[in-house]
Amino acid sequence: MNEAIRLPRDAMLSVRGITKAFGSNSVLKGVDLDITRGSVVALIGGNGAGKSTLMKIIMGIYQPDDGDIYLDGKLAKLGKPAASLAAGIYLVPQEPMLFPNMTVEENVLMGFKENSSVLRKRLAGLINHLGWNMDLGRRAATLSIAEQQLVELLRGLMRDARLLILDEPTSSLTFNEVKSLFKTVEDLKAKGISIIYITHRLTEVFQIADQVLIMRDGVITLNGPVTDFTRDMLVAGLLPPNADVRDAANACVAQDLTGKDPLLVVENLTGYGFNDVSLQVYPGEILGLAGVVGAGRTELATTIFGRDVVKSGKVYIQGRDVTGLSTRAMLEAGLNYVAEDRFLNGIFRLSDVAANTTAANLNRMSRFFTNFKEERKLTDQYIKAFRTKVTGQDQTIGSLSGGNQQKVIIARSLSTMPKVLILDEPTRGIDAAARGDVYHIIAQLKEQGLAILLISSDMEEIVELSDRAVTMYCGHINQEFAKCDISQDNLMAAAFGVIEGSASGA
Amino acid sequence: MLKKLLHSREITAFAFIVLMFWGVGMINPAFLSATNIWLCFNSSVVFTVVAIGIALVIITGEIDVSVGATLGMTATISGTMIRDGQPWHMAIIAALVVGLLIGSVNGFGVTVLKIPSIIMTLGVNGIVRGLIYVYTNGKWVENISFDFKSLSQGRLFDAITYFYLGALVLMLLVHLFLTRTKRGKYFAAVGDNIGGATLLGIPVDITKFKAFALCGILAAVGGVLYVSRVGFVTPIAGNGYEMKVIAACVLGGISLSGGVGSVIGASVGAAIMASISRVLVFVGLSSDYDNTITGILLIIIVVSDSLIRRRAVEKARRERLAAKTLHAITDGKGATHSA
Amino acid sequence: MRKLQKLVVRWETFLVLVIVLEFVVFGTLSPKFLNLKRLFSGLNQFIPVCIISLFVTYVMITGGIDIQAGSIVGLTSIMVGVLWNDAGLNIFVASIVALIAGALCGTLSGFFVAYTGVQPMVVTLGGSFLYSGLALAVTNLSAKEAYQGISDFPEAFRALSKTELFGVVPMQFVIFIALVVIGYVLLHRTNYGRKIFLCGVNPNAAEFCGINTRAVIMSTYTLSGLSAAIAGILLTAYLGTAKADMGAGYTLPIVTAVVLGGTSNLGGSGGIVGSALAALAVGLLRIGLSLNGLSTQYLDIPVGILLVVTVSFRFAGTNPKLRKLFSRKKRQTVISRAG
Repeated sequence: MNEAIRLPRDAMLSVRGITKAFGSNSVLKGVDLDITRGSVVALIGGNGAGKSTLMKIIMGIYQPDDGDIYLDGKLAKLGKPAASLAAGIYLVPQEPMLFPNMTVEENVLMGFKENSSVLRKRLAGLINHLGWNMDLGRRAATLSIAEQQLVELLRGLMRDARLLILDEPTSSLTFNEVKSLFKTVEDLKAKGISIIYITHRLTEVFQIADQVLIMRDGVITLNGPVTDFTRDMLVAGLLPPNADVRDAANACVAQDLTGKDPLLVVENLTGYGFNDVSLQVYPGEILGLAGVVGAGRTELATTIFGRDVVKSGKVYIQGRDVTGLSTRAMLEAGLNYVAEDRFLNGIFRLSDVAANTTAANLNRMSRFFTNFKEERKLTDQYIKAFRTKVTGQDQTIGSLSGGNQQKVIIARSLSTMPKVLILDEPTRGIDAAARGDVYHIIAQLKEQGLAILLISSDMEEIVELSDRAVTMYCGHINQEFAKCDISQDNLMAAAFGVIEGSASGA
Repeated sequence: MLKKLLHSREITAFAFIVLMFWGVGMINPAFLSATNIWLCFNSSVVFTVVAIGIALVIITGEIDVSVGATLGMTATISGTMIRDGQPWHMAIIAALVVGLLIGSVNGFGVTVLKIPSIIMTLGVNGIVRGLIYVYTNGKWVENISFDFKSLSQGRLFDAITYFYLGALVLMLLVHLFLTRTKRGKYFAAVGDNIGGATLLGIPVDITKFKAFALCGILAAVGGVLYVSRVGFVTPIAGNGYEMKVIAACVLGGISLSGGVGSVIGASVGAAIMASISRVLVFVGLSSDYDNTITGILLIIIVVSDSLIRRRAVEKARRERLAAKTLHAITDGKGATHSA
Repeated sequence: MRKLQKLVVRWETFLVLVIVLEFVVFGTLSPKFLNLKRLFSGLNQFIPVCIISLFVTYVMITGGIDIQAGSIVGLTSIMVGVLWNDAGLNIFVASIVALIAGALCGTLSGFFVAYTGVQPMVVTLGGSFLYSGLALAVTNLSAKEAYQGISDFPEAFRALSKTELFGVVPMQFVIFIALVVIGYVLLHRTNYGRKIFLCGVNPNAAEFCGINTRAVIMSTYTLSGLSAAIAGILLTAYLGTAKADMGAGYTLPIVTAVVLGGTSNLGGSGGIVGSALAALAVGLLRIGLSLNGLSTQYLDIPVGILLVVTVSFRFAGTNPKLRKLFSRKKRQTVISRAG
């Protein structure tokens, strides 16, 4: 059997025919992959494409259902993290997994067998070699995310890692931190270390990668040297095979807003994570708010929603000043918010669909005793309207697919009869069919005259849905686009801080 | 500098004990005699040993509320054997084996059966308490030989008992184990960030199991010391000790969420717990207020600690967000960050 | 059909079966068990635990734990005694004051849990010290010696437990049933109860739904303190004595009843009916065993075993290694079939 498999000679890591399913959900459908020594391989793909699962299999955290992994051409058995670590593979997770109450040094040296004085000397040598400036005595809890990532990198390098997997390392970094991280990656590459670089940002691919891989629906759909591709080709690779690439100009009919009063007005709002933000959303309008993760979009939305303090500025809903009100008062004022992190802030995993649908609406349905009749009616109405796939109202939401969970969460927001709805990454982590359904729902809401603020890092989504769009960059609204000017290129450029005439930022 | 000192929770706990002694000395100077101060520390020996054991468990992020029953059981067994004239070393070994056994049952329940430790050890506490009655038929273990009792009275320089000295040596050894050895460092790592520990290939379950087993053994040591110090064992011996030693750990700066604190802190906390009733007597209050004071202290300490931490976390988050925000687009310098 | 299936699968159904089984087994072993009058009088001792476990269920659904309820029982008991005996208050006025005090004690702990983020375990540990200490302090206010307790209560007060409905069912049991109904309606039929569940499942999401999670969490401790006060008063009326240490040792049976009743200690799921049935099952087990000659001191053994065994069934499934052990067997059979 094995003779049939041919591996490239300079491959450090080769993966052949990996499949993995969680229950009935098939996540990897036969993945082949080769990583050459000393190369930086960018791995891109949408949420749910299977990137993380593949990496976790390589790291020995998950077991593949089928398929083999080869290291230096030899079949490797990576059953648990310890085996992968010993083989020189190290995963730097998106959220660094440090021991918050230990010092940097303790964090780096944890888990080694050698005598600590030897280790300390090696660590000093390594840091010296890399030319980093680092206080080893600091407690990890006091480090910034970027610094924490450096600690993770040190951990990997101290283990003589030959393959580093960086999982969206820049997602929570500031621009200067990104710059210094790229320099580090260059250094490591020069030392012959292979790197798998998972990212959502196409610009980064061209900045640092040698090879690019695109994953979609559990298979690798595009693979080759970066120089063979253009940005548009990568975008095309990310899109489903026969997605109709809409011509923005065709559908360009700007809404007539004259004579209408905006339902949501934000005036010079400043809070933690954003500064001096002004915007208006009109009834029956979808305002797209584009920006990369960490640009301050979610902070803006949650602050408006009463989850954090307003430093200065005003928020008006239907002309009423609602600045700094509590979440409860905001709901009463006619605002609702569909949270970005569905698991953390959205679903009640153990509760059933009905309880999830009415969670924000309990006191509206009745004063003291829960109104079960109304609850059933309301839930049923939304299940039908959104075509939510459930076995019944008493199914726990945790057992639904991501898309159906999201429909329930949107139903919950609508059940409070909001005039203004903020949708934060409404289609993150849900499949294509459910995405279509969610878009359909959003379009309906717009018809009904709601004012919708759509926050997304998926530029395609903004293009598809928005009537107007603004981009956020480092906590600021840096550009506004009328319907006819919205295009993925424009949005992407602005979201990365590249504005015609003046290029501020990295 | 001050901040760093305050971060060392053992030092704050120790400062507290010094302040407490000084304060009581102001009210009643008789308290500050060397004999009395040594008495305070010497009398904390059983608490100290058991607190060191439970600290191991708490540092890994778990809890053990069965140490009181374990102490009672092992005291009963070793007391009975000594009373019946068996060699002392046999009695001690029997106690240690039983302690190990109970600790292992706890460890098995928590690491293999995945039962939350509070529930597992609460159940084991009840079972062992009942078994003490089965073993003794509800009778007291009395008539312990004078020789064995007098062991607890032996003192070095007429000040520190050999028992307490031994407890301090034990504390140092465990401290060195936790801070200087590879496997010892796993304890804090597991309690600090269990996910991160798993990723680094640290044997999480084995470490937790060890913590419970060691805790059982140390509770047994406490049981043997108890027999010698008290001289008789009732079926309710050690009742409520689990709560007192947990309180000692918290007073000594160990966080119940795991990963924070040291056995030195636990020992200081044990000394505080043992001194409170004596302190009350010296300031002219009934020792009945012992529990009240402990409760108030405990709540004040954990609440203030939690508030300080919360504030620090919130401040860090805000600074972080502020660093990401450009304060004016045109002002390029606004974008400088400390990377 | 599906409804029927669901009813069979329900945990509560299993508990009913356990109770039926207890009646069959103990009834055969000793006919005294089937004598209702005897059965109820045996159960009287255990009713306080049953009552408290109903409302500790609320606390545990929010993801907390309450180990202070036992101390509140003692505190309210001695308060009733001292207020009546020494302060000269009407016994029912004294009871109302005690009820308020119990609720306040619960609220204080609940406040610290909800508003400062300290783990419930530590806060209620501090609370158990504090309230049992206060109970002793209250005892000292009385002219009577602590060990005697306060007795000779008026008949009207003792009637709280002496009255029997239909000549058989004691008043305390009636109160318990009434509290089951109230507890059930409040938890499963009102918006407030729904919010308790939502806070337990995902407090963040609950905040985003405009629910004041802190107030909800705090209120569960208030209710549990209040129920402990009710239990303390009933116990005082039943025994005819007010003592500060009543309720010591209640933590194990309370937590056992709640966990056995199907409430997860991680929060988010559970129910009143389960807790009530489980508390009764534990109570009947104790009566049955003691009727068959097992001394009361031994009774913690079966209760502890019950707790550990039930939870291990529930949690062992979360251990991937154990799961693999079982699924491997399945897989092998599949493979052999394929081969």
